[in-house]
Amino acid sequence: MQSGGGIHMEARVASALTIEGLTYAYPETTSPALRDVSLTLECGDFALLAGRSACGKSTLLRAACGLVPHFHGGEISGQVEVAGLNAIATGPGELAAVVGYLAQDPETQVVSTTVAAEIELPLGMRGDSTTSRARAVEEVALALAIPHLLDRAVDTLSGGELQRVALAAALVTRPQLVLLDEPTSQLDPVAGDELIWLLRRLNSEWGVTILLAEHRLERCLAAADRVVAMDSGSIAYDGNPRDFLTWAQDADQALETPAARLFSLADIAPLPVGVRDARRTLVSTSAAAGGEPDPLLTACTFSSPTSRRRQPHSPPKKLSEEGIRLTSTTALDAHDLWVELSRNDSPHDVLRGLDLKVNHGERVALMGRNGAGKSTLLRTAAGLTESVRGKVEVPGGIALLTQNPSDFLVRERVGDELPGDEGLAALGIVGLEHAIDADPRDLSGGERQRLALAIALAGRMGADDELPGLVALDEPTRGMDRARKDDLASLIHDLAARGAGLLVATHDVEFAALFAERVVLLGDGVVIADGPTEEVLSGGWYFATEVARVLDLPGVITPEQGAMALREAGEGG
Amino acid sequence: MRSPFAYTPRPGPLQRASPGAAVVYLGALVAVAFLYSNPIVLSAVGIAVVLAGRLAGAWSAVRAALWMGLTLALLIVVVNALVVSRGTTVWARLGDWPIFGQVDVTAEAVAAGAVLGLRAAVVMVAFAVYSSCVDPDRVLRALRPLAGRSALTATLVSRLVPVAAADAARLRDAARLRGPGAAPVGKAPLARRLLAGSLDRAVDVAATLELRGYSLRPERPPAGETFFGPMRTEKRFTSPVQRRSRYDQRFYLTGAIVLVVAIAGKALGADSFSEYPTTEIGSGAATLAVAVIVALSGLAPLRRAPRRSAARASRAASRSLPAGGGM
Repeated sequence: MQSGGGIHMEARVASALTIEGLTYAYPETTSPALRDVSLTLECGDFALLAGRSACGKSTLLRAACGLVPHFHGGEISGQVEVAGLNAIATGPGELAAVVGYLAQDPETQVVSTTVAAEIELPLGMRGDSTTSRARAVEEVALALAIPHLLDRAVDTLSGGELQRVALAAALVTRPQLVLLDEPTSQLDPVAGDELIWLLRRLNSEWGVTILLAEHRLERCLAAADRVVAMDSGSIAYDGNPRDFLTWAQDADQALETPAARLFSLADIAPLPVGVRDARRTLVSTSAAAGGEPDPLLTACTFSSPTSRRRQPHSPPKKLSEEGIRLTSTTALDAHDLWVELSRNDSPHDVLRGLDLKVNHGERVALMGRNGAGKSTLLRTAAGLTESVRGKVEVPGGIALLTQNPSDFLVRERVGDELPGDEGLAALGIVGLEHAIDADPRDLSGGERQRLALAIALAGRMGADDELPGLVALDEPTRGMDRARKDDLASLIHDLAARGAGLLVATHDVEFAALFAERVVLLGDGVVIADGPTEEVLSGGWYFATEVARVLDLPGVITPEQGAMALREAGEGG
Repeated sequence: MRSPFAYTPRPGPLQRASPGAAVVYLGALVAVAFLYSNPIVLSAVGIAVVLAGRLAGAWSAVRAALWMGLTLALLIVVVNALVVSRGTTVWARLGDWPIFGQVDVTAEAVAAGAVLGLRAAVVMVAFAVYSSCVDPDRVLRALRPLAGRSALTATLVSRLVPVAAADAARLRDAARLRGPGAAPVGKAPLARRLLAGSLDRAVDVAATLELRGYSLRPERPPAGETFFGPMRTEKRFTSPVQRRSRYDQRFYLTGAIVLVVAIAGKALGADSFSEYPTTEIGSGAATLAVAVIVALSGLAPLRRAPRRSAARASRAASRSLPAGGGM
């Protein structure tokens, strides 16, 4: 017994991951996806893997779990060791005992019918006894707070629940290292935050080493104790989160968090790694400057009803009584809209008497937790789903882009998807005229999304390339880095300037702050908040930008607004 | 939207039973359907499987299977009536048909078709109940010692089918959302796209299986050893997937009784039925006895309410009161 325990301890003190001089190219590609990568993770590290899309993050994670090169093939050189095992010589099956892997799409990570069977599968494959399997399943279910799901069928779970089950299956063998590839990209802010803090708890209490690839750095930077940033297949930065923010200021501003950008614009140092850190720094900075805390900064960090009434910046745009600008005609009009869908074999009201109007030229973010009814509203407006009561009208027509743009692409040439003058006009609207002879598969992710939008627009435009009344996008930023989000926000502004009403369902509050002038918050099928973006995204906790959570001031949601508010407070104080 | 035949975990006895017990129970009813041609006994089997499905909470599966089964039964009746001209009671003479020749619709051919159709419908309902109530993971795990890789491949296929169905629904939606100026999507490009997408999905799922240790040769740890170290109490924990059920005995026993009664009834002439030249349906005591017993077997999934007699409840209540009662 003692020897067994000793061996166990010895394995635990080895480095969780050691990579030396790793260069890798996928089959039939000319340029390597990883270039001379060297990285060591000690047991108990919580490292965040940052970088733009296609910089090599996913490939690095696949190399660490053995899928590269064993599953994907290709050419590899260098060394990869996971908990003392050579990952290049050993296959992913053998590595499964020491490394767990969670990919972006939970749908493809479950292979069993029930949750209990799914979690037990790796133990069964390993040949563990029935008794130890039962205990391991029970323990991991308790750790992830999913014992109530054990008897459920996997195809009845929500996205967040499915992601937890996939995580449980990755953790059930008690691996030393867990690799996660954008696990929150399909989750709403609540479920995303819960998952990150669950990982932090596993890291603290179980000692699990975590390597987490994410685009929404503001969500997880505070949980990490180390950041590894990649650029073009190489490691560009490896250090602590605070220094990372300083590095990102100069090297790649797309990797800056909103709070760091706020501090940088307001000339406050050090840059904060999270909301709590930012609030503490604000209080201490103000106290150090004047001896006594600045009233605004105190208000920011310990907001009271009185302080929240203060408006240190220009107030948000005035709306009509209905919360809608009076300047233009209606692009969408939903009145007393009820939609019933089947959920777990029983009918369920997804929309419950919803009332909503969107005008031409308006940019509206549709937000709410998973299952609140965002996609159902868009699908009903586009005629994909029938209402059981009430009506939804789109007088000028609607072009809807669903969550997966690849579903629109069925041919091997862009020009074949969009033939004729109408196709060319649609390509022109999204700025893809130059790609008419390209294969859609060769386009970047952002270009594919624009092409799919052009396919939805083609033939729906009037004379002089007049757009349809409403352009709707469903979760368009999944897996996008900030640079691509900026491009998409520009496109949305452009389309709205051409007269279309834009209705975008999104979980991404920072993106909503970037493009929207109005936010509609859905909760359980009804509108629970509807107003100017600055108002809605500064009045809560989950559905609030990072800057709003730091400053907690009405109407302040972007770093620029926050910096102005801080400067005004400094001048006034 | 989920298929009505998809397995749904429920707390009922049939869902809780081990796969072996459920297979023995429902298999016995299917065996009777194949053993007997007597419509009374076949109807009794139908009643049993519908009752079993209803009591097990699989009513949507039963309803869907009944709809499909009765449609199939009607088709069989029509085809049999057109193809078979035997029988003495001619209902209609339809003359010479190009393929069928002389077509006479007889009451006996219709009755024979109805019996075949009834058997098909009963078997479909039984399979619907099985599909909806028996956890395929448990079945495949039970089969793993016999053919481990095949069992897992079957699991993988069963997982990919609903995923492919969801992909197909998404692609159909995207096709409907294309602007009128975009190239229309025919069935062929859509099918090609679905196939390509399914292959991508299969690759992802295969990667997941690799990571779950699919390629490992299972090796049992030494007796008493577990991943968590030595286990002193080997039987302390039971896998939630392989958990035994207190209902197993009931289903094994019911299945055995049904089979024994059916075989004994067959030997005693309970399956008395002849289609041609005139339809004769036996309704003797043996037939009726087999039918009643088979029909009653449909009550096996009945879930008893928790027993707590009023007397016991009042005794417990009186014990909890302080001496002297009252306040």
